[in-house]
Amino acid sequence: MEIETKSEGEKLTIAVSGRVDTVTAPELAASFQFGDATCVVLDLADVQYMSSAGLRLLLIAHKTMLEKGGKFLIANPQPVVKEVLDITGFSGILNLV
Amino acid sequence: MMARRNLNLKIALSVLSAFALSMAFTWFLHGHLSERDAYALIDRTFEDVESEITDRVNERLVLQCMAARERLEDGHPDDTASLQELARELRVSEVSIVDTKGDIVRSSVPDYLAAPGRPAFNFAAAGGMAAEMMLLVDGRETEHCQPYRSNPVNGNWRKFVGVWRPTGGFVEIGCDGAALRSLARSSIVDLFRNWHVNGTGGIVVTTVAGLVLTDYAEPSREGTQWNEPDESFFWKRMDIESFPTYVMIPKGSAAVQRDVLVGATATLNGAALVFVALLVGLVISSFVRQQLRAQAAKELKMAKDIQLAALPNVFPPFPDETRFDIWASMETAKEVGGDFYDFYFTGQDRVLFLVADVSGKGVPAAMFMMRAKTLIKSIAQTGKPLAHVFEEANDALCEGNSSNMFVTVWAGEINTRTGLVTYVNAGHNPPVLRRGGKSEYLKSQPSLVLGAMSGVSYRVYELSLAPGDAIYLYTDGITEQPNATGELYGEKRLLKALAGTTARGKAVLGAVLADMRRHGAGAEQADDCTQLLIRYRGQPDVVSYEYVPTMKDLAKATADLDAAIKSVPENVRTQMMVAADEIFSNIVRYSGATSWSLTVEKTRYPDSLRLIITDDGQAFDPLSHRDPDTTLCAGERDIGGLGILIVKKTMSPVTYRRRNGMNILSMGKVYGD
Repeated sequence: MEIETKSEGEKLTIAVSGRVDTVTAPELAASFQFGDATCVVLDLADVQYMSSAGLRLLLIAHKTMLEKGGKFLIANPQPVVKEVLDITGFSGILNLV
Repeated sequence: MMARRNLNLKIALSVLSAFALSMAFTWFLHGHLSERDAYALIDRTFEDVESEITDRVNERLVLQCMAARERLEDGHPDDTASLQELARELRVSEVSIVDTKGDIVRSSVPDYLAAPGRPAFNFAAAGGMAAEMMLLVDGRETEHCQPYRSNPVNGNWRKFVGVWRPTGGFVEIGCDGAALRSLARSSIVDLFRNWHVNGTGGIVVTTVAGLVLTDYAEPSREGTQWNEPDESFFWKRMDIESFPTYVMIPKGSAAVQRDVLVGATATLNGAALVFVALLVGLVISSFVRQQLRAQAAKELKMAKDIQLAALPNVFPPFPDETRFDIWASMETAKEVGGDFYDFYFTGQDRVLFLVADVSGKGVPAAMFMMRAKTLIKSIAQTGKPLAHVFEEANDALCEGNSSNMFVTVWAGEINTRTGLVTYVNAGHNPPVLRRGGKSEYLKSQPSLVLGAMSGVSYRVYELSLAPGDAIYLYTDGITEQPNATGELYGEKRLLKALAGTTARGKAVLGAVLADMRRHGAGAEQADDCTQLLIRYRGQPDVVSYEYVPTMKDLAKATADLDAAIKSVPENVRTQMMVAADEIFSNIVRYSGATSWSLTVEKTRYPDSLRLIITDDGQAFDPLSHRDPDTTLCAGERDIGGLGILIVKKTMSPVTYRRRNGMNILSMGKVYGD
């Protein structure tokens, strides 16, 4: 798994590639350092798949940004990832762009 | 049906007894009435008879009295002795001459005449009937008759008749019974001949000695001795002017009338009762029939339900089984029939499958079917060879089979390791072998149906199935479904449907049924339609790995799985990876296991993948947990259970077993034909 972080003012973009599963989730969790960013975009364009270990991180990040009054956006989920988000009802609570 | 016959009998009996009662009452009433009527008629008749006889007697005696007056006018002496002689001459009992004052001035009876110390008998003074004679003295009447009665002067029974004398006063004669009868009898003879009373009844007048004077029915009897009527008559005797007179009505003629009345009443009552009975019967029988029909329908439905419930009806029946697939369906016709299918393991690698059809329909067929099914299964599960199973089942079914039912069966037993099928055909339709895109009938010399004759042996055939081969079994409900013109679906159309469909597995059954229904459009499903399809899949490719519950081994397992399923299409592979990750992480993090394993099975026909993941940790059935609520908002969401939810939603079948201290979770995915 590779993680690329790009900061533009108050907007933080985190681009992930590879697999998000039990093995790689801790690595992703470590990269979720949002600082003063009011808008965090998680780019999933290159994520092959995501298990519930990844979902857990998305939920935590979403709640954290809500509390700060900021936004947590999910960008470009691939069909397999989108399916998991749909099955679990996450499509309804996360902000997909 | 029994109940209905009893009911009909009861209705008929009630109607008959009501009828009999009413008839008895009518009979009694009319009998009673007819006797009363008969006597009333007799009394009325007597009134006529009396006046008739009295008229004749009076007429005759007036003539006699006129003769006496004539003789006296002609100068016959009128002293007592002369008058006595005149009376004898005229055959009367006495002759008297009465003056205008009503006194008897001359008489053949000295007692009537005045004597010293006694006045003459005076009619006016005597009063009563005698006084009526006074009408004669001044010519207000010219003749007057008294009834035959006891004479107030001396108590003798007499009938007095007087005729007036133009010179004043009157001449009177008196007749005792004998004199009266001797004078009047000739007037009475013939009087009542042919005078019938109430048809065959009539009047008889006799002398005091009992000789017949006049007989209504038999003039030849006149002058013969009369016997009083016997019990076959209603009758009465009255002495009229001293003549014994009988009025009689044969009871028969009264009864004839009664019979006519009763008959008419019976006919009317009978017709009314029959009508009412028919009406009541109709209403009741239609009600009862409706009840029975509803009851029968209910029972038939129950029989059908029991029958269906007895068949294995959960598919796939063996979720962990990858060496073969089996599907079956039974579409029951309106009426309960005797079709069935069955399949079960008869050994570790042997599976028996069969389709059968019991002769006949209805509850008897359903019961025979249950018996046959249970018998075959219980014998087959002892592990005996198929031929023995059939021979034993046949002998058992023949026992006490008084209704001569039988069952056709096609049964095969597949060795799931080798694909070798042994099969027996007990008089059943040949199944279809589907091999490499081709379909053909699996013809064999059929043996005798089960239940027909004991001691029969069954021939066993063999067939080797390659992976992907399938056998399609059916009952004649399929091939004998008629269309609107009565043409049957038939084996040719069935084969064509099977060869023509691109469907695989369960869809084959649906395709055949749909084709059959297209053929039979407009016609009702004639019979139970039972089908079974078994496909041999061969042995799976299997790889297994052993791990310990560490994150390192988890990463290793992920890599192993990834490598093992490289050939699987991308989307299936990622679903499989996600699902596996959920199970792996559960084991590594929470199970407390000391070791765990992963087995990957790849099977063809259809292409499918199965992961079997075992661990020796604490018992945990992930499938028994409730799915999390995926509709809650972010703040309320909990992460627990989502992994299992993903597994359940993307994999099928998913099964869990706890065996020998191991959690065994199996999840499969079919991705090809």
